[in-house]
Amino acid sequence: MIFDINAWVGSWPFRSLRDSTPQQLTERLRKAGVAGAAVSQIEAILHRNAQPANERLAESVEPYRDVFVPMATINPTYARWEDDLRICHEELGMKGVRLFPEYHGYEIDGPLAKRVVAACRERGLPVQIPHRIEDMRQRHHLDPARGVPLAAIAGLVAAYPDTPIIVTNARGIAQSPLWRRTELRDAAWYADTSLAEVYFQGLDKDLALIVEESGGRHLLFGTHAPFSYPEAALVKRATLPADADTLEEISYRGAMRLGLTPESWAVKAGSA
Amino acid sequence: MVDIAAELKRPKIDAHCHVRAGREEELSSQRLVEAGEMLGITEYWCSRPITARYGSLEEIRAGNDAVLAAMRRYPQRIRGLCFVVPGYYREACAEIERCLDAGMIGVKLYHQYKINDPAVWPVIELCTQRRVPILVHAGYVTDPRTKAEQPRLSHGADFAEVSQRFPETMFIMAHIGGGGDWEWTLRALRDSSPNVYVDVSGSNLDDGQVEFAVAELGAQRVLFGTDGTMAGCVGKVIGASLTEEQRHLIFWGNAERLLAAQGKQPLAKIESGQEGVAG
Repeated sequence: MIFDINAWVGSWPFRSLRDSTPQQLTERLRKAGVAGAAVSQIEAILHRNAQPANERLAESVEPYRDVFVPMATINPTYARWEDDLRICHEELGMKGVRLFPEYHGYEIDGPLAKRVVAACRERGLPVQIPHRIEDMRQRHHLDPARGVPLAAIAGLVAAYPDTPIIVTNARGIAQSPLWRRTELRDAAWYADTSLAEVYFQGLDKDLALIVEESGGRHLLFGTHAPFSYPEAALVKRATLPADADTLEEISYRGAMRLGLTPESWAVKAGSA
Repeated sequence: MVDIAAELKRPKIDAHCHVRAGREEELSSQRLVEAGEMLGITEYWCSRPITARYGSLEEIRAGNDAVLAAMRRYPQRIRGLCFVVPGYYREACAEIERCLDAGMIGVKLYHQYKINDPAVWPVIELCTQRRVPILVHAGYVTDPRTKAEQPRLSHGADFAEVSQRFPETMFIMAHIGGGGDWEWTLRALRDSSPNVYVDVSGSNLDDGQVEFAVAELGAQRVLFGTDGTMAGCVGKVIGASLTEEQRHLIFWGNAERLLAAQGKQPLAKIESGQEGVAG
């Protein structure tokens, strides 16, 4: 069983994406052998008021509740974002939050982000921080396309070590402060498989080092589909230095423990 | 459903890779071979370019010597591309002759000169004469910082222009996934000679880029490469919507044809009809 913690539906204004509707994404992921995914609405990244996009997401993935888990996009610079969080969690059934500090205009280790993380901690919701959406080197002139600094994310993790914080679509994790700040090894931070390599140039260990030294404790399966080829993450999964138990942890058990998999999966896992 | 395990066994030639120089050469070569065992990469075309400046002739030669050492260490896995800075054209041509005579199979250029700069012509003429490909660091970058760092980075329009002057030369426009607007640079190749190839290497794993290259150029002009993004680049070709014949051309057949132009064959052999099984 494979669950993707990093997928999307919707339109990106700077490039045409394939397989970006719930139906298309379901088919694409199933073709790749991925049974489900945590998704958020792409348009919310660039909207000032993210909540209409959150509501559209909840409605569009409702028929796919055995496949998709909706993730709320929260913009903490916007008036009454706390209401959005409450509605997304309590009324729309969202299981986590995604933050976009470079698009919504705040510091990921600053007071606004910390208020969101504290609120998520109270609600038991994991927080995802996509490191980047697209490669900066191809940026459209209207897209800031800046990566969220991994050192600043490490600072946020240090402030909230018990709150699950998932950094997606980043590379060089093992060279970043998230890994090098050894006092964070017991904190609840995670990276995903979407952009980082197992071994860069076959020489420098990235995901390989994290798995060798911490098993599946800090790694979750994620694809960044439909922006990226999901099969890239599958090849990484297939070449991780992981035993069967660790691979299950990375592939879905870690996500399940964080409450990110569909509710029906818990039943399946329980009966397995 | 995509059978990842079976696809990893499919033999592949990586037309864009690197070994390190000096004391790191041995370990980097060893790790490449180990990664190849997992990913089905049976052959690497490696170079050791100088990336941030011009470099001295001694430094350039030392990098090429590291590649030659890697070739000697793993003669059934590693082949070499000779890096030169074309502006020193007499010395560059002499270095190319030295490296080709020692067994390398092509030339690697970085962004010290644009590929359509006349300063590069002597190198292009020599490569044309020797029937070896020229792999050129490339990209159409749009963010100001990267543009400032690489002001002479070649892109599709530069290749289209130079290939009209040298239509027989085998150019490889490097890493469509190496950053930069891959749609722009591939579209700009529409006027290029059919001897301009691209490789799919690079850290950018944007969905659709392999199919876009095939749609613009035809599968016979798209090479598999990693440039260090090894699992990611294997994955993007596995995941691309291609026919079996197109995937075989990208992973193997096109590189095989480039080697044949200079009378060489892939280092591993695959039998006809056995393209899905590692050699």
